[in-house]
Amino acid sequence: MATKKTINIPLGSQHISLLEPIRFNFSTQNEKIVDVDWDVGFVHRGIEKACTTNFEFKQVGYVVARVCGLCAITHSLSYTIGVEKLLDHEVNKKIKYLRLLMLELDRIHSHMLCLAHVSENAGFEGMFMKIMADRELVMDIQEAISGNRVQFDYVSIGGVNRDLDLETEKLLKKNISLLEEKIDDLIDKFTNNWSLSLKYKNIGHLSKEDAYNMNALGPMARACGAKIDVRLETSDFPYDEVGYELVLEQGGDIHSRNMVRLREIKNSIKMVRNIVDGVPEGEIMEKVKGKPKGETFMRIEAPRGEIFYYLNATGKNMLQRVRIKTPTFSQIPAMVNVFKGANYADAHAILASFDPCMSCTAK
Amino acid sequence: MSLKKYRKKSPWILHYNCGSCNGCDIEILAALAPKYDLERFGILNNGNPKQSDIFLVTGPLTYRSRERLVELYTQMPEPKVVVAVGSCTCTGGVFNDMYNVENGIDKYIPVDVYIPGCAASPELIIDGVVKGLEILEQKTKEIEKPKKLLGELDESKASIDRTKFAGNIDDRKN
Ligand code: SF4
Repeated sequence: MATKKTINIPLGSQHISLLEPIRFNFSTQNEKIVDVDWDVGFVHRGIEKACTTNFEFKQVGYVVARVCGLCAITHSLSYTIGVEKLLDHEVNKKIKYLRLLMLELDRIHSHMLCLAHVSENAGFEGMFMKIMADRELVMDIQEAISGNRVQFDYVSIGGVNRDLDLETEKLLKKNISLLEEKIDDLIDKFTNNWSLSLKYKNIGHLSKEDAYNMNALGPMARACGAKIDVRLETSDFPYDEVGYELVLEQGGDIHSRNMVRLREIKNSIKMVRNIVDGVPEGEIMEKVKGKPKGETFMRIEAPRGEIFYYLNATGKNMLQRVRIKTPTFSQIPAMVNVFKGANYADAHAILASFDPCMSCTAK
Repeated sequence: MSLKKYRKKSPWILHYNCGSCNGCDIEILAALAPKYDLERFGILNNGNPKQSDIFLVTGPLTYRSRERLVELYTQMPEPKVVVAVGSCTCTGGVFNDMYNVENGIDKYIPVDVYIPGCAASPELIIDGVVKGLEILEQKTKEIEKPKKLLGELDESKASIDRTKFAGNIDDRKN
């Protein structure tokens, strides 16, 4: 038998199916990917350094939001709660509820973008357009609550910047109910549509052991049955009061990842309803005095997995160290593992189903 | 129909992210999606620089992407329009003066339309692109004007008027 020839196929750093600059080098043998090499550093801006040299601790919350436009609220929230811990201040329940509300709305729109992207990369452009149109329902709510569609600087140290008024509440409830119907419809399509299920089932498979061994996070881990979710493990937010449920699927393929995202959206919708119904009375901004001193860490479940913040301060206006660890960075070994053995033709769909975020990874 | 008309009726865009936070990129996607529907101008998001007319750039230009940016720009055929989407693409925005950032793309390529905002909203992006279309039309006309390379032909004398050569010093002055 003739020896198999290995062919290298580059993908990126600019490509129609990639929103962000990232370069892959796939080594393929007869259509099968045997190895993959990647380069994620194109969007490195140096935010961690800037947080300790260019900005004061009161401003950093708005700067770290610009690490990533999709999970902006998660970043600023992690930082803000970290600083509040250093200042020994716990905010009241109303603020916690409002923060949680934005966190879950953010999760909904991020997951929907990912689903749209997966459909597009698998060649179903109409589905992409449909999901993007439905996503506007959530964007409208976010705009009504915070004043901007993405990069809403909603969280400040000591509270949130805007209150929820009656009109917004009405709009929120209306849009959420509309969205719920659409999501039910999408769940039906993603399970039963001939072209979607055929394309997605058993492709890009990750087993449960590999998920544990290689530190998969977020929807990617939950799609293969691994119970990994920061929302279960921490008590910074009143998650049990608002009806949080762990969503698990067993397949580990693209289809399961889609299903995990869809079901999480449903769960988030339920939580958003409960939050709006149960917002307690209280102030939306509390006075926080002093300057942070000491070190602390903070974990929050972003739409893609765990975000980890480490802060170190010496009681001055400038922080000494801000360390950010983001979900995509931790997932890279697991992703490489999934690529090995897959067909090159599926590479784009698999890539989109991880929902990688390069802006977070390179910072 | 000539190429000129196609270019007017269906300009294709090329989108490149040179270090942005994704905020503006998802707004570009939203602008292409049904609610805002940028595609009604005949616009298609296209990955190939050689077929594109409008260059949508986001991000404050990191050190590693500047080479790609210039490469993509030079690969696009004339006439072309560059639209800088978002404050950080125009001036560096919040990333201004970070060690790995070039503070805006106009150091490296000429920009025709600046869109402000962090993130630039889909409405602003549509406005910017429509403005870009006007500029594109102007540029097309500009390109099609005949150039006086060898001066004017004087038919009555049936010879070239050598006083109007491109190299003529008096000509350069005005
Ligand atoms: S302008 Fe703002 S939202 Fe847009 S890419 Fe820059 S930092 Fe992100």
